[in-house]
Amino acid sequence: MTLAFNPELDLTISRVIKAPRSALWSAWTDPTKFEKWWIPAPARCEVAQMDLSPGGAFETRISEEGGAFGPHLSGCFLAVDPQERIVFTNALLGGWRPAENAFMTAIITFKDHPLGTDYAAHVMHRNNADRTMHENLGFNDGWGTVIEQLARFVE
Amino acid sequence: MGQYQEQLNTVFQALADPTRRAVIGRLGRGPASISELAQPFDMALPSFMKHIHLLEESGWIRTNKQGRVRTCAIEKAMFSTVDGWLADQRALWEDRTDRLEHFVTNQKKDTQ
Repeated sequence: MTLAFNPELDLTISRVIKAPRSALWSAWTDPTKFEKWWIPAPARCEVAQMDLSPGGAFETRISEEGGAFGPHLSGCFLAVDPQERIVFTNALLGGWRPAENAFMTAIITFKDHPLGTDYAAHVMHRNNADRTMHENLGFNDGWGTVIEQLARFVE
Repeated sequence: MGQYQEQLNTVFQALADPTRRAVIGRLGRGPASISELAQPFDMALPSFMKHIHLLEESGWIRTNKQGRVRTCAIEKAMFSTVDGWLADQRALWEDRTDRLEHFVTNQKKDTQ
């Protein structure tokens, strides 16, 4: 399957990571390992569901400032190819039930590389109203410049 | 969607005033007390404080009172809210990949 890349809605993170593919796969699929990197510290992550099969539920929860765990990601796996690929979306919940807040599909791939693993995350987003709102406000011209200048101040 | 939209409205309402933009510009160079911030403006303190409250409520700045002095500082996190929608998502995934990389490379060292 070829992936059509839409620069306005998609992003790809691609990186050679100096670790064996099995270590990356395990960091993604072992909930206790996954919890250690999915959410930035000091917030804590809890894997509520990680049913690694097509249609399986994928749900992470977050706790900030030591509080109770609340919703973070609620989605569904679409494809799980051991040691090779994980595809999930938040457009569906476990059992392929349509989700309320569809937003993105992510394709995570793992390939061998002489230095370790060629790791990539290809994330496709919905052309949603938030984005349109963002653009209607003129981020592409006037406001963008204002923000840029302000950002330069704080950096 | 509603929540994000409301947040953006508040963010831009806060910027739609020259006094407030000047305050943000000044705070970009570092934290300052209310009296320092108010000094360039020919304005009664209660009116100036309304601007400060609006900036604080909209998330552009935060304030902190120590003794009798209230100090204001810019809220850097705000810039990621307005700095492009896809850029936000990219930053999130970059950070996530950083943490994953850190996790697997350190883990390898531990087991060697």
